[in-house]
Amino acid sequence: MTLSLNRRHILQSTLLGVSAFALPISAYAQTDARIVIIGGGFGGATTAMTLKKLLPNSSVTLIEVNALFTACPFSNLVIGGLRDVSAQSFSYDALEAAGIKLIFDVASDVDPTGKTVRVGLDTVVPYDKLILSPGVDLRFNALEGYDLDAAERLPHAWKAGPQTLLLQHRLQDVEDGEIVLMSVPPAPYRCPPGPYERASLIANYLKTQKPRSKLIVLDAKEQFSKMALFQEAWAEHYPDHLEWRGASNDGTVSRVDAETNTVYTDFESFQSTAINIIPPQKAGFIAERAGVTNSTGWCPIDPLSFESILQSDIHVIGDATIAAPMPKSAFSANLQGKVCAVAIARILAGLAPEPTILANTCYSYTTPDEAISIAGVYSNDNAGLSSIAGAGGVSPLGADKAVRNAEALQAAHWFETITSEAFG
Amino acid sequence: MPLSVFAVVACGGQTDSAPVDISGQTVERETDRGAVLALACTGCHSEGGGAIVSLSDHDTSQLRAALLQYKSELDGTTVMHRLARGYTEADIDLVSAYLEQAEADR
Repeated sequence: MTLSLNRRHILQSTLLGVSAFALPISAYAQTDARIVIIGGGFGGATTAMTLKKLLPNSSVTLIEVNALFTACPFSNLVIGGLRDVSAQSFSYDALEAAGIKLIFDVASDVDPTGKTVRVGLDTVVPYDKLILSPGVDLRFNALEGYDLDAAERLPHAWKAGPQTLLLQHRLQDVEDGEIVLMSVPPAPYRCPPGPYERASLIANYLKTQKPRSKLIVLDAKEQFSKMALFQEAWAEHYPDHLEWRGASNDGTVSRVDAETNTVYTDFESFQSTAINIIPPQKAGFIAERAGVTNSTGWCPIDPLSFESILQSDIHVIGDATIAAPMPKSAFSANLQGKVCAVAIARILAGLAPEPTILANTCYSYTTPDEAISIAGVYSNDNAGLSSIAGAGGVSPLGADKAVRNAEALQAAHWFETITSEAFG
Repeated sequence: MPLSVFAVVACGGQTDSAPVDISGQTVERETDRGAVLALACTGCHSEGGGAIVSLSDHDTSQLRAALLQYKSELDGTTVMHRLARGYTEADIDLVSAYLEQAEADR
């Protein structure tokens, strides 16, 4: 089925090329531009939808390995037993209805010179503009003992789906009184506050279901996103169920042994039924194949258009990019996707991309009905991506419960809206 | 970007009835500064409203007044207070006008 779909796509592109031959040049660019997007998450799906709206006559193809998308935001609620995993799942039906061509297969290589994408083993998809939204790959073996097999015993749950449920089930298997462990890597990684939201919701699960158990968070860092707010919530809600150890308190995990369910720091070792290892990360592998990663493993971009600095006509958005101070978040990926789509539409219409203002908002739950947030506002002018002075910041410390409850409700609304924008 | 363009694509599925843009003027209109600034709004604000207010039932002056109030209330507790401080009054004017126009075009 996949092969025939791919062949039909190439055939359609060829036919379009012939029929558009007699039109003026600008119309030719608009109607026949072959836009290919790899990765159907918050960034890629939003880019596809936005481009199809801006350039209704262009050919937009989305290559994504999974026919159903499982969202990472809110998956910590699933791990904590507060949400069904089915609420995380989204189809691409609305994209198909909008006229976007879908290829559910692995994009295995990119030829940036010949401007083609290899799909699977032997299908070649040509592009005029390629957008990579590949998310992150886990750097297996960067942490000694943590490889693909180890992840089946010590789940990362940093890509939502089966791993999310595996960690949920490990927590359910914990004996009351047993410790639970989480390992957090150095920055940068997907979703900076994510480990601490997860810690909060695991602590909430233990407090309510295994009250003699406790979560120990072993962190390779000294400071983290929304730290004061999380610590305020932990002191209030989880004094007996959550202990955080930073790098200077022997928090850095140096190796793991999946056979014995053991994690080692410099001076201690811990065993548990439920160990969550969040490993170091890098841009999704197709970015490396396309030649758009640098020595960090991430992708440098021109923030005006999100075009790669290393390859022309390849744009990169979302978690894979070096876009600091914008964090690797669903909100960032979604907005970068829209801004990238605008830039590409302008380029194809013979217009230069213009600087704009970008923003980010990330909510984190600290209890089932309380949340905190961080927001940022950024300019992407010639000086690069930079935070706008005086804007952004986190929820107030010491706020009323009503403020935390309101942000929890806003978080839920945000999830509904952003998934609707990306997936219809 | 006017939602009328969205509707054609969403309902028609394919592009027979969609406008063929020969000059690039449509793209220019859909990607002017106000339109692009508004892209930051639509990840949170939906038509239906709820815990996050819908923007569709407010005119330019109401939107402008609300954004300026967020920008100036230093002790505000919402994300909008922290976000609005990043926008100049000129940009608040542009995005407010765009959001009303987008609703009118719908």
